[in-house]
Amino acid sequence: MFFYHISLIGLLLLSCIVQQFLPPINGWYDARILLLPLVVVCSAATTPTAGMLILTFLGGFLWDAQQILLIQGVDTEIYRDTYQSPIESMKFGYSILLFALMGFLMQGIQPLFKQGKWYLSAMLTGVAMSLYLTVEYLLLSFVRGGFDITSGVFNQIGLTALITMLASPLVFWILFQIANLCRHEISYDSLRQRTY
Amino acid sequence: MRPLNFIALLLFIAGTVWVFTRSEKAVRKVQENYYSTISPFVSKGGEIDAFATSFMEEVEHSEVLQKRLEQATRERDRFKLIGIRISELESENNELRNALDFKKKTEFDVISAQIVRREPLTWGSTVEISRGDSDHIGVSLCVLASNGGLVGQVYQPGDDVSSVLLITDEASRVSVRVEGSAEVGILSGRRTNYGETPRLRLRYLSKNAVLQKGMKVYTNGRGGLFPANIPVGTIEDFEAGPVTGEAEIIPSVDFNNLKTVFVITNSPGD
Repeated sequence: MFFYHISLIGLLLLSCIVQQFLPPINGWYDARILLLPLVVVCSAATTPTAGMLILTFLGGFLWDAQQILLIQGVDTEIYRDTYQSPIESMKFGYSILLFALMGFLMQGIQPLFKQGKWYLSAMLTGVAMSLYLTVEYLLLSFVRGGFDITSGVFNQIGLTALITMLASPLVFWILFQIANLCRHEISYDSLRQRTY
Repeated sequence: MRPLNFIALLLFIAGTVWVFTRSEKAVRKVQENYYSTISPFVSKGGEIDAFATSFMEEVEHSEVLQKRLEQATRERDRFKLIGIRISELESENNELRNALDFKKKTEFDVISAQIVRREPLTWGSTVEISRGDSDHIGVSLCVLASNGGLVGQVYQPGDDVSSVLLITDEASRVSVRVEGSAEVGILSGRRTNYGETPRLRLRYLSKNAVLQKGMKVYTNGRGGLFPANIPVGTIEDFEAGPVTGEAEIIPSVDFNNLKTVFVITNSPGD
């Protein structure tokens, strides 16, 4: 189990690098595969709660280090003119909480996953991703003001969740391979086989 | 609840509280470390990506030629190939000439840089350029395109590459003026900018402003971050609100085909 979790952390770090090379699809409302969050949620389905919490913490930390825009050197006179404060960034660490929520969601159907119904978990990754992006957008709207929700936003969220979900079987396959290598049992079936 | 889960939950909460209470400076340090750690992998991957792209283009190019070969003689196609190559070289030459001309003509001291990639942000518009600390690129330096239009500002310089916040990003703020009028306003990007041409928002104009489509918008130099008189875009539409007016701007820079940019290292006033 220990080696499996260490391998998951390695996979998470690898996904950080691969994520840099996954460009948005312009014709699809800038949708892209969110690989790092996908690795986190898929891993959450294969680990116990303690392991899931560690992964979501690490994943959220790395995701925010990559995603959060901290603007330096703004024109202070501009804000004096308009009586506005500089545009707010999201608080560093918010993704840790959102990832943990997605992790708990995935663990909700972990018994089904362990019975071998991995496709249900794969579909749930799509739901989790769309929820994550919706909450993130709502938080961003709350922090920055200007609740500008259009069909384009829905399309971006929906298509991003869809293409991320389509990549989830591949991630689950990789996780099963890692589990085999580390002799880690992530399904009831294999436990049953071992018992008999 | 199992004791192990309870301990993990407590550690998770403690860790999250610790992360939430980090100062902006500490977060910036974390991000610097993050990007400096992954940058060797990114630059190596970038080389592989460029090779793969070039290979794919070559394959695509070959397929087109194959179709033409079926329809025409070998000799004619050879000339066609030469023609295509010359046209590519001419286009590349023109691009480089424009870049060189811009560098010669501009009144600013500039450093040219290539756009390495668009950064993977879900709700942001940033790009990575091929210059960093080693080329004296610092925070807040103004970035222009080869047509002289405003691209954005450097917000995170790294050792060899830097991140540039584009004016199409919602967090970008530029003080501008409208040519042929006394109107000044604040230009910003949009949270979501889909389609071929991104649009910008010009706010805090007077509600009675007489603005027409096609009027040019320039930086006014207020605040000192962006030098004055840099072209930003043209007015597409104007809408008067109860207190202020707001205009939609088409940027003067074609962000979809932007390859080379220029970072102003110091303006004539410096």
